[in-house]
Amino acid sequence: MAILHRALFTWFIFLVFLILLCLRLESRTHWNWFIVFIPMWVYDSILLIYVLFHMVSHCRNGIERFRGTINKNVWYIAAIGLKMAAQIIICIKLEYTKVEIPINVVMTPIWMLLPVLCIEVFMHLIKHSSGSSRY
Amino acid sequence: MFFTLNEIVQWIGLTVFEIWINLITITIFSILLALKIDGVVNSAWWTIFAPLFVSDAMNAYFCCIVCIRMNLENSYKASLYRASWSAIFLGLTFVFKFLLCRKLQGDSAIEYSEVFAPLFILLQLIAVRACQLHQ
Repeated sequence: MAILHRALFTWFIFLVFLILLCLRLESRTHWNWFIVFIPMWVYDSILLIYVLFHMVSHCRNGIERFRGTINKNVWYIAAIGLKMAAQIIICIKLEYTKVEIPINVVMTPIWMLLPVLCIEVFMHLIKHSSGSSRY
Repeated sequence: MFFTLNEIVQWIGLTVFEIWINLITITIFSILLALKIDGVVNSAWWTIFAPLFVSDAMNAYFCCIVCIRMNLENSYKASLYRASWSAIFLGLTFVFKFLLCRKLQGDSAIEYSEVFAPLFILLQLIAVRACQLHQ
C-alpha cells in the first residue's frame, strides 16, 4: 500500500468520525456511541490486519529477521489493543450513564499508551538529531 | 505501524520535536481532565486547557526560530512555505481549542459544528498535502 493510499484512507476515516461526533454532540442524532465510533473500529481492524500481515510476511523471511521485528510488531499490536480498549471504555461510559466507571479506569489505557509514545518519539528525536534534513 | 514517524512528518508537516511536545502536553492535559471530571480540581476549563495552549506557544516559538535559521541558510522559498503551513496549522488548532474551551466554560452559545469548523478546514488542507505525497 503506497503512502498516498494510507494517508487518504486515514484522512477519510477521521473526517467521517469527526462528522459523526459533531452530529452526536449536537444531539441532532441519538445514535449509540458505539455507532459513532464505527470509523474508528474499521480503522483499528485494518491496522490489526496490516500488522498481522507484516508479521506473517516477516516469518517467511527466516528466524533472524523475525526475531528482530517480533518485538516491534508485538508493541504495535499492544498499542492498537490499548487504543481499542480506551475507545470501548469511553463508549460504555458515555452510553450507559448508570454504570459508574471511575474516571481513572477510563483513562488507564490512554495513560499507558501516551507515555510510551512520548518515550518512543523522544528516542527517535535523540537518534536522528544529527540528520541532514532537520526542518 | 501504518505510518513511520518520517512519513507522518512528511504528511502532516510537523517536525518530530513538535510532535513530541504535543504528546507531552496531551498527556498532562489528560491528567488534568481526569482530575476535573472527578471533581478533585475545581479550576476553570482554561486552566485544564493551559498545557495545550502552552504547547501551541512553544511550537510557535520553535517555528519562528526554524524560519529565521532557514532564512540565514538562504532557503527563502522553503522557509516561507514552512512558516505559512506552520502558521495555518497552529492557528487552526488554537482556534479549535479556544472555541472548545469557551463552549465548555459556558461563555458562548455556539454549536459544536462551529467549534469543529477549524478542524474541518485543517482536514481539507491535510488532504491536499496527502495528494502531494510520493514514495
